[in-house]
Amino acid sequence: MKKILEKLKKIDRRIIYLLVFLSIIIPLLPGFDFLIFPVSPTKETKQIFDEIEGLNEGDAVFIDWAFDPSSKAELLPMFEAFFKHCLKKKVKVFIYYASINGINLGKESVKNITAMEEFNWAREGIHYINMEYVPIAADIRIFNMDVDFKGTYKKEGKIFEGVETLRDIKYMIGLSGSAYHFTHVDMQIRFNYKFGIAVTGVMGPDFVPYLQTGQITGMANGLRGAAEYERLVSDKYERNYYGSATKGMSSLTFSHLVIFGFVIVGNIVYYMDKRKRG
Amino acid sequence: MKKEIPILLGIITGILWYGEFFIAGMFQENQKLFFANGLKIAGVVGVAVGVYSVARQNYYKIKYNNERYYAILRVAMIFLMIFLGVISGTSSGTPFSSMFMNVYVPFQATVFSLLAFYIASAAYRSFKAKSVESGVLLVASIIVMLSKIPLGGEIWSQIPVIGEWIMDSPSSAGRRAIIFGGYLGSITMMIRIFFGLERSHLSE
Repeated sequence: MKKILEKLKKIDRRIIYLLVFLSIIIPLLPGFDFLIFPVSPTKETKQIFDEIEGLNEGDAVFIDWAFDPSSKAELLPMFEAFFKHCLKKKVKVFIYYASINGINLGKESVKNITAMEEFNWAREGIHYINMEYVPIAADIRIFNMDVDFKGTYKKEGKIFEGVETLRDIKYMIGLSGSAYHFTHVDMQIRFNYKFGIAVTGVMGPDFVPYLQTGQITGMANGLRGAAEYERLVSDKYERNYYGSATKGMSSLTFSHLVIFGFVIVGNIVYYMDKRKRG
Repeated sequence: MKKEIPILLGIITGILWYGEFFIAGMFQENQKLFFANGLKIAGVVGVAVGVYSVARQNYYKIKYNNERYYAILRVAMIFLMIFLGVISGTSSGTPFSSMFMNVYVPFQATVFSLLAFYIASAAYRSFKAKSVESGVLLVASIIVMLSKIPLGGEIWSQIPVIGEWIMDSPSSAGRRAIIFGGYLGSITMMIRIFFGLERSHLSE
């Protein structure tokens, strides 16, 4: 017992890394789909879904892409699920990039989705538009204007018909791994749009107070939020819109359990050691 | 003049931005665009300064053989990306975009994902119930962790409910206090800069 205790106390961190690695990688391997657990959507994620579902054809949705590849695992599946849902609803989608490192990632993702047979009818400038890069801090100043987007962006397209300022936006979704979207919440007072947030798991608690006050209409939080959204869209349209988030949930589950196990073992070792020392 | 001009600029911009909420018109729109473009230009200049700084630092590393090969690789990659961007643009399907999607994106995602390993190791070594307070924190965090995975509800149906209560009540209350404190601090700082009382940004 004493030997085990000593070994556990001085456990090589590489063993911890190996177990975490295996818990993440094994559920992602082909043939391990039986490890996927169904996620039940939370009311916050459902709020976003309901908002988009309630839009009419031709309404405008703004997607503020404020994340770079470091948050790709959590936020890219969210974007893909939102974008597919918007295309299903035939609403106009305006995408602007507040993160310079996110532009190529975003454009590539849009290109892949619009290349799918189901969505290949979507045309840039008519059904969706990439509004390019607007630096954080400058974006608020530009969008906080009463002149039209078209003039500001020097972009052409039928998509701008009837959409001149943020007042004409029905719903805005902010994707980020930071607290940057607080400013978008403040802007609602002036332009009266509804705002939903899709953030990394670690940022979720920061936005809970805004959800409670009703300033934010819906929040998709972390990989789970993305998996929930994939399920909501799949259930609604009775097609397989499950993507990397749903698959990743099994990986997330097992890695959580491994960390949970380490915390428990760490505490047992601590108490046994404490008792031994008196 | 070194101090007076920045203070004056602070006051003028403060008036313009604040007035924007009360006065509409073309002047306000143009001044916003002016500042937004200014920010973009400042960003571009910042990138140029950054490239110069990295090139200069790595030049000395190459010269004095201080991790020479890493320095060569670093500088070569910077200039390769600049070169690819200049010759064929950055749009989808270009060599720049290919390099970005197939090299930069996986690298950045990998570096961020390393956190999972450090968190597991740190949790094992330091997340211990050494007092009542840390015990409460430990139990709360385990419940929240379990409530975030689908298996949590399978273990005990009340885990998601308790997890949600922790997030919506104690956690949210603390977060509100932080947000209020942050905003009050921002307003104070804004007023101090506006009246020229805060001069730390002028290297004072």
